[in-house]
Amino acid sequence: MGNLDLLLEGFQTALTLENLFYALLGVFLGTAVGVLPGIGPAMTLALLLPITYSVGVDSALIMFAGIYYGGMYGGSTTSILLNTPGESSSVVTAIEGNKMAKKGRAAQALATAAIGSFVAGTIGTALVVLFAPPLASQVVKLGGPSNFALLLLALFAVTAVLGTSRLRGFIALFLGLAIGLVGGQTGQQRLTFGSPLLADGIDIVVVAVAIFAIGEALWVAAHLRRRPLDIIPVGQPWMSREDWGRSWKPWLRGTAFGFPFGAIPAGGAEIPTLLSYATERKLAKHPEEFGKGAIEGVAGPEAANNASAAGTLVPLLAIGLPTTATAAIMLLAIQSYGIETGPQLFTGEPELVWALLASLFIGNTLLLLLNLPLAPLWAKLLQVPRPYLYAGILFFASLGAYSVSFQPFDLGILLVIGLLGLAMRRFGLPVLPLIIGVILGPKLEDQLTTSLQISSGDISTLWSEPVAVIVYVFIAATLVFIVANGLRKPQAEPATDDKEEVSA
Amino acid sequence: MTTIEKPVGTGTRIVDKAQYGLAAFLAVVGAYVVYDATTLEDGFADQPVQPYAFPYVVGAALLLLAALLAIATARGDAPTVEDGEDVDLTEPSDWVTVMKLVAVFVANILLIDWLGWAITGAMLFVGTAYVLGSRTLIRDVAVGVALSVGTWYGFYSGLGLAIPAGVLDGIL
Amino acid sequence: MTPTRRTQRPWAILALALAAALTLSACGVTRGDDGEANRRVSMYIPNSPGGGYDLTGRAAARVLEDADISGRFEVTNVIGAGGTVAMQRLLNERGVDDLVMSMGLGVVGATYTNDSSARVSDATPIARLIEDQEALIVPKDSPFKTIDDLVEAWKADPQSVTIGGGSSPGGPDHLFPMQMAKTVGIDPKQVKYIVYDGGGPLTSALLGKKIDVGTSGPSEFEGQIKDGSLRVLAVSGAERLDNIDAPTLKESGVDMTFVNWRGILAPPGISDESRDRLVEMFTEMHQTQGWKDAIKRNGWIDSFATGEEFATFLAEQDKRVETTLKELGLA
Repeated sequence: MGNLDLLLEGFQTALTLENLFYALLGVFLGTAVGVLPGIGPAMTLALLLPITYSVGVDSALIMFAGIYYGGMYGGSTTSILLNTPGESSSVVTAIEGNKMAKKGRAAQALATAAIGSFVAGTIGTALVVLFAPPLASQVVKLGGPSNFALLLLALFAVTAVLGTSRLRGFIALFLGLAIGLVGGQTGQQRLTFGSPLLADGIDIVVVAVAIFAIGEALWVAAHLRRRPLDIIPVGQPWMSREDWGRSWKPWLRGTAFGFPFGAIPAGGAEIPTLLSYATERKLAKHPEEFGKGAIEGVAGPEAANNASAAGTLVPLLAIGLPTTATAAIMLLAIQSYGIETGPQLFTGEPELVWALLASLFIGNTLLLLLNLPLAPLWAKLLQVPRPYLYAGILFFASLGAYSVSFQPFDLGILLVIGLLGLAMRRFGLPVLPLIIGVILGPKLEDQLTTSLQISSGDISTLWSEPVAVIVYVFIAATLVFIVANGLRKPQAEPATDDKEEVSA
Repeated sequence: MTTIEKPVGTGTRIVDKAQYGLAAFLAVVGAYVVYDATTLEDGFADQPVQPYAFPYVVGAALLLLAALLAIATARGDAPTVEDGEDVDLTEPSDWVTVMKLVAVFVANILLIDWLGWAITGAMLFVGTAYVLGSRTLIRDVAVGVALSVGTWYGFYSGLGLAIPAGVLDGIL
Repeated sequence: MTPTRRTQRPWAILALALAAALTLSACGVTRGDDGEANRRVSMYIPNSPGGGYDLTGRAAARVLEDADISGRFEVTNVIGAGGTVAMQRLLNERGVDDLVMSMGLGVVGATYTNDSSARVSDATPIARLIEDQEALIVPKDSPFKTIDDLVEAWKADPQSVTIGGGSSPGGPDHLFPMQMAKTVGIDPKQVKYIVYDGGGPLTSALLGKKIDVGTSGPSEFEGQIKDGSLRVLAVSGAERLDNIDAPTLKESGVDMTFVNWRGILAPPGISDESRDRLVEMFTEMHQTQGWKDAIKRNGWIDSFATGEEFATFLAEQDKRVETTLKELGLA
């Protein structure tokens, strides 16, 4: 394979001082915008498009790649520390990550996220290098039926995260599905109360921030400890042996989930992070820790998140097919240099492609070098006085919602859903199923509609693609396995020590 | 919402009455989703999945769940209220503080077009910090102004996103 | 009280210093200088950064700034309902004479599909800037070799031809096949149109042969067209495109033209002088080299028009879109 030589040449291009500077800049910028909900990598890249007028194509792309990966990481930092996911792909990270932070294990959560991202990003990039062209031609064979099956698989996995009360889990899930109905995506306005401001539906990031951050802040306000506060211990600054032992498998499994989903159209990072979370919860040696800060629940989804970012590059570079908004804008940037994207990119512009791939390795390394030493510092952020911590959370959550299009209306939505988040905490409704409902509902409907439209309503189309069949067989096999093992309820009562509880 | 009696584990069966409120809320949402679905028409070009198909399913499920929750509540089912590091569940819920926070939030929504983020953002920070028990007003204002003005310039000059300046237009 | 009481002072000083430094260093970015040529202008963009209206609007704003034709541009993306939200906000700013909005055919359609009372014809037309043609795209080994093959099969059984586009109902990719169906004598209601979320998923559906025909601007498919994995049956404009070897619809015997145009509107109720000033501004911009470069870089087609010509065009487009969508029961 000449690929290795080409990659080495790519490193030569990417390691020039100028390009290294742009990689660093991109990683910084990406982390910064990843932190803010409402502003994501896609929007940042779009705003930075004019840079392509004045910077060379390799530098611009290297910087853009840095922003892409940096954004993924920044989104998880605030998820862990402030329970405020910056991107929809880091929503799942908030579940266990923030619980870990509250237990004084923020540094470990940040570290496992950083290393997991690095591992997944590196493996993912290596897979791109090795397999992009042959993989890409397979990707386009996936149509609505395959996507629909994969979504059903995700929904199936959801039942694993419904929490201890099935009833409350389903309530949360269907409330989420109801929120997901809002909007005019079917050509008719549903649940918009006649307002065009709701016609695009409610942004998943706004829902997540409202439910997690606003809901949490209000709930804490209702129960704030009036006696002197215990300071959250910063704890060990570094991962212990046990943390490593519990992290490495989730990293690899997360990578395996994330990469293929990034590569397929309509894939994205939300579904693999969720599948990874559900898997880790099922496989964990200490399932009772889930919901209270299990490190596996951070390691897996974070790896899945970054691996999916790498997977996105497969169809983008191999056939010029963007599968995410961020990828679409990178494509636009390449085109604005007059470079033809499409199957001929690898052969027509090898230097550029390999420099970009090399810079992904570099960007991942930079992120790791930047973030690992910073993790204990970030963790200290949690020691600011509580009023400031929660005022700050409300401040940044509001800014994020407002910055989407500077309309007070979005802040109103944030408050209303935040109040729902408060009520959910009061009534013990788990938040994750609701978020999943908002994410999966519209996709499920969309893929089902597309499939059946193409087949003119013939339902057999749903198992007409091999991937779909494999997924259904997998679901069926799992079901059989569960039944065979005797359908025992998962631990009915979590180990309760000091808490008061009423059993039904 | 009223202050709720915490169902402290005394062994007796306590019905969490507020949970009927949640069941009612679910029923209302479910009913509205179904009602909304009835107002939708057939989509263009004989769609196999009509725009009202999913809403009917979701709405019906919510109605069913509302009924199940009401039954469970009557049988003494009570929620595991979420605990947390900063949460003290031994005290009764302090809904007054929540209302104050909501008021600060609403003020921000109402004033933001007129005053602009640089001012209302600081107000939001100072107001919420005060409600949550901070009594160092000068420091709060300084931090709040630094945050809001800083983010304003970060967006306007840094990202090129023209965040509205409100009354400070021409000054910032 | 809080346990960090001791650190109170440094906090306050740090924060104050930060605020002061920021204020001093960046003070006055919203202040326009005096004089006509330096007036600050606001621009609404009816979709998100990176979208079509955003690219056009920001390119124009940049050229205007760089060539010192106007003062600083303050660009705001007003996102929502395919541009309806931005349109409504523009109409609400009655009489404001330093505000413009980039828009185009898709916004016209969106105002109808979203049941909005905002009409593009209520705003003050300033200029039409550019246009994009639509193309009929098929996979490499599609049975349709020419436009006649397609029309024949389509007429025989409208349901047998699956058409996909990158815009939702009311958008250019949707309006184009509907108007074409009507021209060749097919009831638009019979057209099987599938919405894809932009150019990426549409490309994938075409390459994977999930649909028979794609309707979209050809620039997004340039790579695949060059490479031969996708073919263009026809383009929709009055003239052929330089870089794509395909006939126009008119040449192929389908008597229609269709362009996806973009332009600039101002709020209603502004004075004639203000309107003329804005028209003058964009006319001047149109003549700069910077704008010519921007057009070239983005693969647009120059279709500059102002005044009465643009006003008439806008009214005619509004009518035509309304008719099409009414027939489909979407307006």
